Amino acid sequence: MSRYVPLALALLAPLLLAGCYEDVTPTNYEPGVYKGETDPLLEKLESGDLREELDQRFETAATDR
Amino acid sequence: MARMKFLCDVERCIECNACVTACKNENEVPWGVNRRRVITLDDGEPGEKSVSVACMHCTDAPCAAVCPVDCFYTTTDGLVLHDKDLCIGCGYCFYACPFGAPQFPEESAFSQRGKMDKCTFCAGGPEDDNTDAEYEKYGANRIAEGKLPACAEMCSTKALLAGDGELVADIYLKRVMQRSGRPDTWGWQKAYGAGV
Repeated sequence: MSRYVPLALALLAPLLLAGCYEDVTPTNYEPGVYKGETDPLLEKLESGDLREELDQRFETAATDR
Repeated sequence: MARMKFLCDVERCIECNACVTACKNENEVPWGVNRRRVITLDDGEPGEKSVSVACMHCTDAPCAAVCPVDCFYTTTDGLVLHDKDLCIGCGYCFYACPFGAPQFPEESAFSQRGKMDKCTFCAGGPEDDNTDAEYEKYGANRIAEGKLPACAEMCSTKALLAGDGELVADIYLKRVMQRSGRPDTWGWQKAYGAGV
């Protein structure tokens, strides 16, 4: 039984070490360049449909009645 | 493409603070943070004027220019948004902004500052649209739903306008013509430039 212990530890060790992994890659700073996540709204705003919807909403909500 | 703009018609603003309440309610803004507030000039004197102020989403935003970690980005519609995962809460944007828009929640004792918070034009942030993560960090994303900012939509006198800059300018021009007075577009030139 005791001979299987080192074997089990050897198999378990990579799993345990993999759990400790941390991505330490830093974000290199460049002046004026946004390096965060991309906002999915940007793509939606490119479509004319959303713009038209917003304009119609504005006409409804902001004009005097 | 036209840009999204805010405009507060000072002749119509009655200082009811409904825009402030609507903003707080819609975005669940924490205590101590005011994304929008109403300022009254010459309070109590004849001819006093009130104006509702928030981030004006400047064309050439000074907050973005001074940010040491470049956490700001501008949408094609001219909305100036920021990523709270990048923000370090340094406060440079607060000093740069001519409208006092950036706010810093008090995180813990000894006035430790948290990440910067400001008006997003109800357009959320870089997280996936209308997710819990986005709402918790940035508040509601009404733009993705085809709605305009809650503050402007709630304004009872329609003093606060928010939308396509050309449409906003058209409405304001009509009002000025009807009133036959001089235009008094508070903050417009500072935020968007003389030629916009």
